[in-house]
Amino acid sequence: MGVSELEESSMLLDEKLLRFMDQLESLEEKRATLNSLIEQGWFSMSKARYSMGNKHVSPLQYASEIEPLVCVHAKTLDSGDVDFCTEREKQKSCNEVGKDNGSIEDIGPQEEGVRRRIKSPKDMTEKEASERTSSEKAPEVTPVRKSEKNPQQDPLKWFGILVPQSLKHAQSAFKKVIELSAEIATLQTAVLNTRQDLKHSMKDKHILLQEASANKLDKVSTK
Amino acid sequence: MAGRGKLIAVIGDEDTCTGFLLGGVGELNKNRKPNFLVVEKDTSITEIEETFKSFLSRNDIGIILINQYIAEMIRHAIDGHMQSIPAVLEIPSKEHPYDASKDSILRRAKGMFSAEDFR
Repeated sequence: MGVSELEESSMLLDEKLLRFMDQLESLEEKRATLNSLIEQGWFSMSKARYSMGNKHVSPLQYASEIEPLVCVHAKTLDSGDVDFCTEREKQKSCNEVGKDNGSIEDIGPQEEGVRRRIKSPKDMTEKEASERTSSEKAPEVTPVRKSEKNPQQDPLKWFGILVPQSLKHAQSAFKKVIELSAEIATLQTAVLNTRQDLKHSMKDKHILLQEASANKLDKVSTK
Repeated sequence: MAGRGKLIAVIGDEDTCTGFLLGGVGELNKNRKPNFLVVEKDTSITEIEETFKSFLSRNDIGIILINQYIAEMIRHAIDGHMQSIPAVLEIPSKEHPYDASKDSILRRAKGMFSAEDFR
């Protein structure tokens, strides 16, 4: 019985060790991909900086209010591992933003025609009525500052309206890095949990080995 | 933030922070502290350590990305972090490539394997 327990324990240890090695290998592969993607991102950013100017791609360009466009969900599994996954919020397009705010920027005089400078009482009352109606319309025609009402702006817009393609490539590279970071975080916790598991299983095995050797000594002494 | 998930925090040099903010991880408004720290030449180790500890104490941060050369400055604080959330990821910087032998997680995982362990 003791021998079979020992064998089972050894097999379990082997399985855990193989799993640990697989996880480590996977982690190193993803790390290499992450490092390479980050380097691509930096290279693209440097190209953008070369064409736009040093100060135009720097923390000086960060918006005064920033909303996160990507978040990470952390789920703790029964095994004790934590699963991280990223979720990117859908950015509204410029057209949708305009419709949502319900306003079309309208610049210019609301009243057409020639204005009379000398006002008769009749004209005054008419003018007051028209002013009232125009003030009712005013909220609709207030120019909208998109940056205030839409904080979920594409960060690319901090650097200007027309940004070079290299900056877009940098953004795309860093977006992939963010997704990969979540996968690496998951693997890291899995690796650490498997390592802890291995340690405990080894302790159990050592206890079983000691018991087995003690039993052998007893048998030998009774003979 | 409930239902919206957790944030990804960044402690890195200018290029690292700019890159990740371009990716959309940044949060900065009047009510809440930013979830990133741009480390410059004159940034003190105390400030870095305080920022790292503040990120650890926030319950709305899921992952902390930190340049490895900055992680080296506060290695004791990183080694002392044993919880799974937030996860701490060391990343390379432009001037300091990634070194797996310095990574806290990998050192802890590889541990002190001895011949005894494989018997």
